[in-house]
Amino acid sequence: MKIPSITLVLAVAAAFLQSAQAKLNVVATLPDYAALAREIGGDKVEVTSLAKPTEDPHFVDARPSFVVKLRTADVLIEGGAELEVGWLPPLLQNARNEKIESGKPGRVVASQGLRLLDVPATLSRAAGDVHASGNPHFMVDPIIAKAVAQHIAEAFAAIDPANAAGYQANYAKFEATINAKLQDWGGALLPYKGQPLAAYHDSWVYFAHRFGFTIETFLEPKPGIPPSPSHLAEVIAKMKTEHVKAILVEPFQNRKIAEKVASSTGAHVVDAAQFPGALPNADSYAAHIDALVARVAAALK
Amino acid sequence: MTFFKISSALAFIASASIAGAQDVPAPNQQTDLQLLRKQMIEMQASIRQMQAQHAQEIDGLKAQVAAQQKALDDFQKLAGAIVPPLPAGPAQSPSPAAPPAGASLFPTTDSSVVATSPPASTPASTPDTIPTIDTSVVAGPTLGGPPITLTGGGKTYLNISLDVLINAAASTARDLEIIEVGDHDPLHRGFNARNTELVFDGAVDPYFEATANIVFKLDPQNGTSVEVEEAFAQTTGLPWNLQVKAGQFFSPFGRINTMHPHTWDFIDAPLVHGRLLGPDGLRGVGVQASWIVPTPWYSQLMLAVQNGEGSTGFSFRNRGDGDTFAGRETIDRQLRGIQDFVFVPRWESAFDFGSTKTLLTGISAAFGPNDTGATAHTQIYAVDAFYKWKPANAGGGWPYVKWQSEAMYRRFEAGRGLDDSFAARETFNDWGAYSQVIWGFKTGWSAGVRGDYLHMSDSQITDDPERQSRWRLSADLTWFPSEFSKLRLQYNHDILEASDFLGGRGVDSIFLQFEFALGAHGAHKF
Repeated sequence: MKIPSITLVLAVAAAFLQSAQAKLNVVATLPDYAALAREIGGDKVEVTSLAKPTEDPHFVDARPSFVVKLRTADVLIEGGAELEVGWLPPLLQNARNEKIESGKPGRVVASQGLRLLDVPATLSRAAGDVHASGNPHFMVDPIIAKAVAQHIAEAFAAIDPANAAGYQANYAKFEATINAKLQDWGGALLPYKGQPLAAYHDSWVYFAHRFGFTIETFLEPKPGIPPSPSHLAEVIAKMKTEHVKAILVEPFQNRKIAEKVASSTGAHVVDAAQFPGALPNADSYAAHIDALVARVAAALK
Repeated sequence: MTFFKISSALAFIASASIAGAQDVPAPNQQTDLQLLRKQMIEMQASIRQMQAQHAQEIDGLKAQVAAQQKALDDFQKLAGAIVPPLPAGPAQSPSPAAPPAGASLFPTTDSSVVATSPPASTPASTPDTIPTIDTSVVAGPTLGGPPITLTGGGKTYLNISLDVLINAAASTARDLEIIEVGDHDPLHRGFNARNTELVFDGAVDPYFEATANIVFKLDPQNGTSVEVEEAFAQTTGLPWNLQVKAGQFFSPFGRINTMHPHTWDFIDAPLVHGRLLGPDGLRGVGVQASWIVPTPWYSQLMLAVQNGEGSTGFSFRNRGDGDTFAGRETIDRQLRGIQDFVFVPRWESAFDFGSTKTLLTGISAAFGPNDTGATAHTQIYAVDAFYKWKPANAGGGWPYVKWQSEAMYRRFEAGRGLDDSFAARETFNDWGAYSQVIWGFKTGWSAGVRGDYLHMSDSQITDDPERQSRWRLSADLTWFPSEFSKLRLQYNHDILEASDFLGGRGVDSIFLQFEFALGAHGAHKF
């Protein structure tokens, strides 16, 4: 009895190891890429996100455990538009993983093939913490998310040809879902087209572009520069003149400041987020945009 | 056209008949006239027929147009019933590809943000035709990129940045250079600029990446000295988790030794760092190999082999100021063999506690000869720990709590110096530690406290002013207007213990530091 049970345990362990090995080990710098990787990879991939959904993506600590994750990664998905510039390079230097080196099929740069908005004509930090390649907060545009998902599907298919058809099918499914959902989202936000919104940080330009809002009022005087009383006074005056009804605030931003501005202007504070998993019951990409659209629509009603 | 021809023919005939009527008609002419009349009647008949045909055609066309119009109206009614009118595209976007009739209300593609063809990592396999456009390579930003691509992330061959530390110092001690132990610390009262650092980094080729830190230091006479603090290249893709580094670099010893002064949490170096490793820390020219141990947690083994010569190999082959170290005239020890290098092994490990807390620990050692005697050797051992807490919704990197501590022990064999000129051999067992806590309590602000202790073995024959046991308590407050500048106020209370040669004393110092950084966005190590 003993020998068969040991054999069984070994067999199970071997099977487990085999299945563990068979899965693609995917590391995403940010939770939105991780959400797409899960959609595309399904049960054929093991996905880890380095940044947490509620965390400021500009300032993620380069924890040594990330080196361990990157060391064994088959695929790394990064934005590549300077959002992770403050923490990813030392991790990659230390990870010494050939598979995810720049230019390898295992390195997916999400911003490739996208036309980023707000590319600065000149680079000066007098304008705050600007990003040379354009605004990097592009994943809240579902059309862009489709392109990134397709990019991810192609990378998975190239690295794991045995499951290529599955990845392509998952992408087709994702594309169909987003195309259908776009009608819902567009319909929900259409009545408020052209309305001005305010935001804490300039991270909503793609969302505004997609759904026809203008978001040009920011609580930060310049990207990455904390709000000052004089700037907030200007913001309040501007919001009153333009009848701005909503202020988008992300989980890591100072909600109290937004509340103060809201109470002086009659606007609503919208608890928004860039990343799936940050809002309740919104772990998938579509569910996240659902939640985002619902919150914005509710604030503008 | 036919009408015109016919009518002009009729006009000609009419004018001919009028002209003919004026003349006297001859019998021949009469039959001609009859013939003409007959022909005209025939022509009129054929014209009527043609007109009728045309009218019929026009009516047919009219009916056709009406039918088409009706179909169009019906179709529009139908389309209107299915979807409301198409919304106008966003002002700045070029018109998206026209959707087929009856397509979605909301556009599902947008060529203004996504290149039409996917950004494939492999080129499309269509060898028959050479593509004339390739959106996967030209689909970059719509606006022109910045004209100068020398600095900035990603798009450059070389990242360049400049980091400047300016200190103002007030102290009850006139000999601040004895109180402060680091070479980049404020070493005299008044203004100090001991760290203007140029940093270059980038990929060398597919196999190496390189970093160089060139430091300019101003002395009290405002003379500038230049120091190649680091200049090394390291491998990027060696197998088996290995990495090799070569050049001038900080020895992998402890924590603060591998950090550049502008990333420190206090203005000055801890006592153990300045007195046991040296004012410049332990660094030098050499090679280093490191291996990430394949464990589920982070664990790395490193070994550096360096010259360990001069002031940056302070406790090793260092002849000292005026060729004197630890009170002895030093020997000029040339490298005899591999045994004269400094060997620096280190093992570091890190552990996560949940998603918000991380502990990084390490043990390090350094072994090598020193210049106080032909057979004199030095061994230094250290343990270090760094702990950081940052909540899951930290914004801009705040708030946080960091705890950092290092303890060191140095066994220094002090020989009899050049030509056995010194009275006796001694063995110094020197040790010390520091511990500091930094609290980032509010976005852009941090406060810290630090305790420092250094014990130097007593000696009745060595009168080195640096061999004095001492305490230090420090507190600081830092304001970061942005990631690229900071203003720091620090208070130090130093207690120097009396020894056989040196009197005890207490010193109070206040420093104000201003840092500014230009150029490429530096990344932060953990």
